[in-house]
Amino acid sequence: MTTPKSDLPQGTLDLLILKIVALGPLHGYAIAQRLQQISRDVVQVPQGSLYPALHRLENRSLLVAEWKLSDTGRDAKFYRLTRKGRAFMQEETNSWHRLTAAVGLILDAAEGEAS
Amino acid sequence: MTWLGRLFRRDRVERQLDAELRDHLERLTDDYRRSGLSEREARRRARLEFGGLEQVKEVCRDVRGTRWLDEIGQDLRYGFRLLRQSPAFTLVAVASLALGIGANSAIFALVDSVLLKSLPVRDPHRLILLDDGSWTNPIWEQVRARQLEISDGAAAWNDVRFDLARAGATEFVEGLWTSGSFFDVLGVPAVLGRTFTVADDNRGGGPDGPVAVISYAFWQRRFGGEASVIGQTLTLDRTPFTIVGVTPPSFLGPSQGRSFDVAVPLGTQAIVRGPGHWLDDRSTWVLEIMARLKPGQTVELATSALRSVQPQIREATLPDGWPQPMLDQYLKEGLTFVGAAAGPSGFRTRYQQPLWIIMAVVAIVLLIACANIANLMLARAATRRHELTLRLALGASRFRIARQLLVESLLLASLGGVLGLLFARWGSWIIVRQLSTPRSTVVLDLTLDWRVVGFTALVAVVTALLFGVAPALRMRRVDPNDALKEQGRTFAGEGRHSIGTWLLGAQVALTLVLVVGAGLFVRTFGKLATLDIGLDKDAVLVVDVDLSQTSVDPEARHALYERVRAAAAAVPGVAGAGLSLITPVSGAGWNGPVELKDRPEVPTRERMTFLNSATPGWFATYGSRLRAGRDFDARDVDGAPAVAVANQTFIRRYVKGEPLGQIVRFERGPEGVQPVQIVGVVQDAAYRSVRDPIPPVLYLPLLQAHTKGPGRLNLSVRAASGSPVLLTRSVAAAISQVDPDLSLTFRPLAAFVDGALVRERLLAMLSGFFGGLALLLAGIGLYGMTSYSVNRRRAEIGIRMALGAHSSSVVALMFRRIAWPVGFGLVIGAALSYWASRYVTTLLYNLDARDPATFIGAAVFLCAVSAVAAWLPARRAARIDPARVLREA
Repeated sequence: MTTPKSDLPQGTLDLLILKIVALGPLHGYAIAQRLQQISRDVVQVPQGSLYPALHRLENRSLLVAEWKLSDTGRDAKFYRLTRKGRAFMQEETNSWHRLTAAVGLILDAAEGEAS
Repeated sequence: MTWLGRLFRRDRVERQLDAELRDHLERLTDDYRRSGLSEREARRRARLEFGGLEQVKEVCRDVRGTRWLDEIGQDLRYGFRLLRQSPAFTLVAVASLALGIGANSAIFALVDSVLLKSLPVRDPHRLILLDDGSWTNPIWEQVRARQLEISDGAAAWNDVRFDLARAGATEFVEGLWTSGSFFDVLGVPAVLGRTFTVADDNRGGGPDGPVAVISYAFWQRRFGGEASVIGQTLTLDRTPFTIVGVTPPSFLGPSQGRSFDVAVPLGTQAIVRGPGHWLDDRSTWVLEIMARLKPGQTVELATSALRSVQPQIREATLPDGWPQPMLDQYLKEGLTFVGAAAGPSGFRTRYQQPLWIIMAVVAIVLLIACANIANLMLARAATRRHELTLRLALGASRFRIARQLLVESLLLASLGGVLGLLFARWGSWIIVRQLSTPRSTVVLDLTLDWRVVGFTALVAVVTALLFGVAPALRMRRVDPNDALKEQGRTFAGEGRHSIGTWLLGAQVALTLVLVVGAGLFVRTFGKLATLDIGLDKDAVLVVDVDLSQTSVDPEARHALYERVRAAAAAVPGVAGAGLSLITPVSGAGWNGPVELKDRPEVPTRERMTFLNSATPGWFATYGSRLRAGRDFDARDVDGAPAVAVANQTFIRRYVKGEPLGQIVRFERGPEGVQPVQIVGVVQDAAYRSVRDPIPPVLYLPLLQAHTKGPGRLNLSVRAASGSPVLLTRSVAAAISQVDPDLSLTFRPLAAFVDGALVRERLLAMLSGFFGGLALLLAGIGLYGMTSYSVNRRRAEIGIRMALGAHSSSVVALMFRRIAWPVGFGLVIGAALSYWASRYVTTLLYNLDARDPATFIGAAVFLCAVSAVAAWLPARRAARIDPARVLREA
């Protein structure tokens, strides 16, 4: 465990989950794994946040879940993105890009002034 | 799954949550195992990384959004279990709440129906009424001719009783004379057939002849709801009418407190009454006139529109034979409209104040019940303190515990509310039945509608808050640490200034107010009921004899009446019979001014006398004794010297010196001044009403007072013994033998007297009942408080007695405990009663609303009840065996 971990800004976990699930139906464990892999171990989500987030997204009908037989031979709960979830993800992605761009601009400008 | 679905499939949702999390844990373990760790180590690492399974579940449940409902479900189940565990507490609490809430709902149903509800018609807020009082038919016809200049249409009606019988004993139904526009202007459609058209209102009947519209209730009652009723014939006052329509069940009639069975057009009166109709009579003031505002029109605009045509209306309807000053007044007096969304109602005016008073009374009863239950809950919360603090220590939030206590209160209040609603239905029905008098049946729409149910629910919730908040608030002050250390040995609710003491004091204060009120109303009723009205009210049966349906010649009427009287007097069991124009205490009256020769300047108003005409033997029928002179006899016929019998008040007020033989003069309408010679003085007796002070009355011989026999007279029959009502059938049979076409109505005199006291009896009954209930509740409260205190101080009392305290000093100790709340309660209660007395003054008879005897009596009575309530447990305290208590300690 040499990579430093970062705390996720408020509300971004939902967006990340939606993005991961957008690629295809996944169960909770796989979602956690993917998050970790894609972010090259920077993002590590404790189960105490992951499952409540999944249930919250299901509650808001951004995700739907179904129980399917999985590779382990047991039934697992697979989450899939809904049409509403996809629209929401698009929206949030755009606003995230706008925000990070703006934050970047400010940080760069501040540095320029300081030098 | 939807939110609701998740709620109802809670078990499945829980199982799935568990499976999902366990699946995750398994996969994590598998991964560790694959990375080469031993089975044991892999499990350990996975568990470590995953964290607490139950904690994750808790957060997921929070997210689900049904958590609070789950918890309330838990609270409810827990509450139910607790209530089942202490059935005595539950029974007392639910029963007193059911009584308290039910009484409130019952009275609210009446208040709502009489005072608040609008008529069940289209746009009731656009209805206006011609103020104030009644109008003649010629005035109505003038208004009718101009109705569209004034408003969006106008209607008129008059309450009447029709006789359904084709012959003999009467069978009355409540009737209405209505204008042809009546149902259209009110916006009442027919549920079957049609309502009236303007043409139906033509004099002598419209194109379909005389037609009638019947009410839904009458349709059900008399015709069993058969659709074939349309076109059937109904005999009203011996005139056949064709039924053309039925009104909706919600419409009871235009006036609150009265319902109608049959409505017929005004114009048909020309057929029913023949020449006796009042359609052209300019001095028969009987019609109510209502109008409907045009859209956007205000009551003021309608009034000014009416005022602009007023001169024409007044000029065309000048009453005949009025003196000039009165005619001037008649022309000048402005006509005014007032809003009439609820319809006009003498009933409402009469019962408005009593209803609000009783509403306040039942609200106070409920407050007293609340105080009781709050005290019970406080005591329970004190004994449950250990349990509650344990839960606090285990991590329950204060909010959660306070909510638990509130849910329990709500549970009690809901049980009380549901039972109360049943009690209310029954209670308001009983009260309405009490309101009916022999002359008018009171009918109110008391269906259990959303207003009453909503009110009940509101009252239940407010009640629960009232008695549930104190224990819940108390939880805020509990420190789990302290409480655990004390091991639940402490109790709340001690000391002089504890909530319990204040509640008890408030209870005593409110109870005193109700007991004082009950005392005032019961004494008023008692005074009126035992008033010596100078009449043997329990011995007389009054028969209304109506000749209007007979073919008897006016000249022969006196002879017919005499035969009727003789026939009734001959019936076995009848001690005597007499005829009179006016029945005492029936509300009817006849008066005129007396001429005072020596004091002509006294205004007319101050020299009025009431009049009546009677046959020989009439005084004896009523048990009225002559103080001097003689009764009427066979000499006093038309043409003989005019004589009169005066009552004592008349003599006192208008006659100087020896009354017998004196001539007095009185004015008698168009016939002018009449001189009569006083031949007898009769003892004072009530004339028009039981309540009024006895007025001066001059009695004239029937044959001299009316040269032609009047269309109807009252025959009074005195029973030799027993109830006069038992004579009804035999007297009816005897009179019918004289002439089968006579319309007869039988009523015992006592019914008139009771009818005059309906309001007083109702107030006395209800305030007495609720005053008693309040006393009972306060007694239970004091008993409970003392009892609780005895239990709590058992050890202390034991020690005191072991040290030599006498049992009487132990009783005194317990009495001191309640002396403070009872004492300050009485002071506050007396002040409150003093203040509230202003609202009841007008409802009392011969009694000051601040009557010291009533106040003192109520306070003494309340003290006695308190003393008994405290003495029972105090006696138990005095019997404590010190040895046993000391051993237990």
